[in-house]
Amino acid sequence: MIRKFWILIKYEWINFRADKGLLILTLFTLLAGLYGIYYGTTEIDRQRRNIAALDSITEHNIEEMKAKYPGEADAGDIGYYHSTFAVNHPDTWASLSMGQRDVNPYYIKLRLLNLQSQLYDTENINPLKVLSGNFDLAFVFVYLFPLLIIGLCFNILSVEKEQGTLPLLLSQPLGLPLIVGAKLGFRVMIVLALALLLSIIAMGWGRVVPDVRIGMWLGTVVLYCLFWFGVAFLVAALHKGSAFNAITLLGVWLLLTIVIPALLNVYVAVTQPVPQALELTIRQREVVHGGWDKPKRETMEAFFARYPQWTDTTEIKGRFAWRWYYAFHQLGDMAVEDLAREYQEGLRARHQLVERLNVLSVPVNVQGVFNALAGSDLPSYLDFLQSATRHHDSLREFYYPFLFKQIPFRHADYQNEPRHSFTSSPDLDTAYGGMYKLLVSVLVVYVAGLVLFRLLPAMVK
Amino acid sequence: MVRSIAQKEFISTLRDSRFMALSIIVLLLLLAATVVGLHSYSTLQKEREVAQQTVNDQFANSADRHPHRMAHYGSYAFRPKSSISFLDFGLDSYTGASVYMEAHRQNSANFSQAQQSSSLIRFGEMTVAFVLQMLIPLLIIFLCFAAITQEKETGTLKILLSQGISLRQLAWAKIAGYSRVVGLVVAPALVLASPLLFSRGGYDLEADVLLRLLLFIVFYLIYFFIFIVMSVVVSSWYQRSSTALVTLLGIWIFCCVILPKASANLGANLYTTPTKAQMDADVHEEVAKGIDGHNAHDQRAEALKQELLRKYGVKTLEELPVNFDGIQMAAGEEHSSRVYQEHFEELTGIFENQNRISEYASFLNPYLAVRHLSMGMAGSDFRHYIHFQNRAEEYRYHLAQGLNHIQATQLKYGDKQTRLSSDTWKSFKPFTYETPSAGWALGNHLLSLVALLLWLVLVCTVGVNRINNTQIT
Repeated sequence: MIRKFWILIKYEWINFRADKGLLILTLFTLLAGLYGIYYGTTEIDRQRRNIAALDSITEHNIEEMKAKYPGEADAGDIGYYHSTFAVNHPDTWASLSMGQRDVNPYYIKLRLLNLQSQLYDTENINPLKVLSGNFDLAFVFVYLFPLLIIGLCFNILSVEKEQGTLPLLLSQPLGLPLIVGAKLGFRVMIVLALALLLSIIAMGWGRVVPDVRIGMWLGTVVLYCLFWFGVAFLVAALHKGSAFNAITLLGVWLLLTIVIPALLNVYVAVTQPVPQALELTIRQREVVHGGWDKPKRETMEAFFARYPQWTDTTEIKGRFAWRWYYAFHQLGDMAVEDLAREYQEGLRARHQLVERLNVLSVPVNVQGVFNALAGSDLPSYLDFLQSATRHHDSLREFYYPFLFKQIPFRHADYQNEPRHSFTSSPDLDTAYGGMYKLLVSVLVVYVAGLVLFRLLPAMVK
Repeated sequence: MVRSIAQKEFISTLRDSRFMALSIIVLLLLLAATVVGLHSYSTLQKEREVAQQTVNDQFANSADRHPHRMAHYGSYAFRPKSSISFLDFGLDSYTGASVYMEAHRQNSANFSQAQQSSSLIRFGEMTVAFVLQMLIPLLIIFLCFAAITQEKETGTLKILLSQGISLRQLAWAKIAGYSRVVGLVVAPALVLASPLLFSRGGYDLEADVLLRLLLFIVFYLIYFFIFIVMSVVVSSWYQRSSTALVTLLGIWIFCCVILPKASANLGANLYTTPTKAQMDADVHEEVAKGIDGHNAHDQRAEALKQELLRKYGVKTLEELPVNFDGIQMAAGEEHSSRVYQEHFEELTGIFENQNRISEYASFLNPYLAVRHLSMGMAGSDFRHYIHFQNRAEEYRYHLAQGLNHIQATQLKYGDKQTRLSSDTWKSFKPFTYETPSAGWALGNHLLSLVALLLWLVLVCTVGVNRINNTQIT
C-alpha cells in the first residue's frame, strides 16, 4: 500500500516536471511570494525610517525654539509653537501582513492645544495605491495560493478520464481512493513546501521576533492550504469534467475572497454606522473657539472642576493668559469626550462584528489571523490612538505647573518633556480564535468531500 | 450564413441552464450593487450636506469677533459625492471627507471610510463597477471559451467550413451572437438602474451628468466586447475546450487580480512619498525664511513696513491710513500659501508618477484602462480628489485674505480687542463645490482611453486575423 503510494507519487513528480504549465504556475507563485516579501519588508522599513526621521524633526524644532526664546520662556509659547510626535512602531511581523498600516497614520503630530483637532490628521497617502492594496506575503497566501492549488488540482481526476487513462490505471491493483490520495498528497507536498519556504524566507528577511507566532503563522498557512485542497477534493468528488471543475473552483474562490467580503462590508457599514466623526470635529471647534467669547471666570471654574489642584492659582486679569487659553482648549476636548469614546468604540464594535461574521469566508478569517499576529489591524490603531491620548494628557501634566505656577520654561526643561513611543502588539486571542474556526472549516470540507466521494459512484468510462 | 450562426449561438446559449443561472446571479449582484451604491451614496451625501450646512450657519451666525479670531475659527469643506459615484466608489472610500480650513494652516482631508473600517474593506467593495469590471468578463469567458474548440471537438468545424465560410467569418458570427447574449444580461440592469437614478428626488439631470453616464456605459461596452473577441480568439488557439478555459481564466486572474495590485505597489516603491511631517517641516522652514504672520521682527516685515511708510509719507505705523497688522498678515498668508502650494504640487506630482505606472499597465491590461476611465466618469478618481482639495485650499485662502482685508481696513493698528458685528461674516459666501465637466474628467484619462481603444483595435485585427492560422485536424 505504502509502496504503491510512493510509486504513484514518483510518477506524479515525473508528470509534473514534464508539464510546463504547472511548472510555470508554481514558479510564478514563488516569484509572487518573493516579491510580496520584498514589498512588505521595504514598506515596513520605510515606515521605520520615517518614524526615526521624526526624532530629527523634533530636535530641529527644539533648536528653533531655543533660538526663538534664548532665555527663559513662557511655557505657553512653547506649548503653542513646539510640537512632538506620538509614534506607532510596527511590530516585526508587520512586514508579513501589513493590514491597515498603510491607511491609518503611524504617527501623530501633537501640540499642547486641544487633542481632538489633532488626533485624526492623516498621513500623505496615495489613494489609488491603498485602493489597490498591499502585495504583501499575506496577500500571496490569502489570494494567490488558492489559485495555485486550484490550478494544480482542478483536473486531478478529470484529466485521467478525459485522456482515457483512468480505466488503465484502475486496471492495475490500485483503488480509486489511493490514486486520488496520492495525487492530492503529491500536490499538498509541493504547495506546503513552497508555503513553508516563503514563510521562512519572510521571517528571516523581516527579522521577526521568534516567539509562539512562528508556529501560529505556519499552522495557519498549512491549515489554509489544506482547506483549499479540501475544496478541490470536494469538487473532484463530483466526478465532473475539467471545464466544470475549473469554473466551479474559481467560482468558489471568487465567492469566498471577493463577493462575500464585499457583501459583509456592506452589512457592517449598514448595521454598525459610525456617524460621530464629522459631528465630533464640528463640535470641538465650536467649544474651543467659543472659549474666547465666554467670561474667563466661567471657563476657569469649569476647568478647575477637572483639575482642582490648580484652583488656588491667581485670578486672570487682562485680555489674555496662556493658562486660560489652554484651559478652554481642554474644555473643547472634554465637550466631545463622549463622542470621541463613541467613535472609537463604534470602530472597535465594527471590527468585532467582522470577527464574528468571518465564519462566512475563510479568506477573511485567515487575513484576520495574519493581521492579528502582525498587530496591523484596526484594534491596534485604536490602541495607538488611546496611547496618544494618554501621552497628550502627560504633556498637559508636564506643562500645567509651568503655566499655573508661572514657572519660567528653561532650555533644560525640553529634555524633561515626555516622549511617546508605542509599538503595535499582536492580538493572540483573536488569532487563536481564528485558527480554531479555520480548523473547523477544514474538517467540514474534508468530511463533506469524503461523504461525497463515497456517495457518488465513480463514473469511469 | 454568418447571421444564422450568430442566431444559433444566441439561442443555444439561452437554452443553456447553467449559463442562465450564472447570468441571473450576476444580474442580481448588479442590482444589489446598485441598491447598495445608492444607499451608501445618499447616506454619505446627506451626512456631508448636513455637516456643511451646519458649519455654514455657524460661520454666518457666529458671535461678534475680532476678524483674526474669525480667521482661526475658519470653516470646513465637506466633499460632496459626485452624482454618479454610486456606480463606482473608486477612491472615495480611501479619500478624506472633511478639510478644516483655517488661517496659516493647510490641514489634511480627514475621516475616510477606509480609516473607519477594519481590513475587511481591503477585500473590495460591492459596487456596480466591481460587477462590471470583474464578474461580467468572467461570465463572458464562461460563455465563449468553447466557441471554436467545441466545433473542433465535435467535428463540426470541418462541416461548417465546407459550407464555404471562412474561419474569420465564423469567428465574427460567434462574436455577434455572444455580444447579443451579453447585451441581454447587461441591458435589464441598465433599464432597472436608470429609473432608480432618475427617480431620486431633488436631483436634476444635467447634460454633463448624462454625458458622464453615457461615456461610462460606452467604455464598459467596449470593454466587454474586447473580452468577447479575446475569448473567441483564445478559443481558436486550442484543440481542447478545457485548455482554452484554463488559459482564459489565467488571463483573467492576471488582469483583474495580480497586475492592478502589482503596478500600484511598484509605483509606490519607485517614487517615494514624503511624510506629511517632513513636508510640513519643510514648508515651515521655507516660510520662516520669509515672512512670519505673527512676528513683526522679521526682515521682510521690516521691508514691508518701510515700503508702506514711504508710500503714505508717514513716520509711524499708527499714522498709516491702513492697519499694518492686516497687511502684514495678508503678506504672510500669501507667502506661506505659495510655499505650501509648491510642496503640495510636488506631492501630487509624486502620486501622479506612481499612478502613471498603472496607467501604462493598461496597455497590458484592459481591466486597468476601464477602471481608470470608470472612476474618471464617476468622479471618484485621483484628479477629482485633488480638484476638491485645491478648491478647498482656494476657499481657505480667500477666506483668510478676506478677513485680513477687513482687519486692514476697518481696525486700527495694534487693535486686538474690537469685535466686529456678526453681520460682517454673512458677507462671506459659504464653500460650494462643483464637480468639473465630463470633458475635463476624460482629458485626465487620455492614456487609458488610448489603451482601451488600442485593445479594441488589436483584438479585432491582429487577434481575429490569427484565427486563420488555426489548425484544423
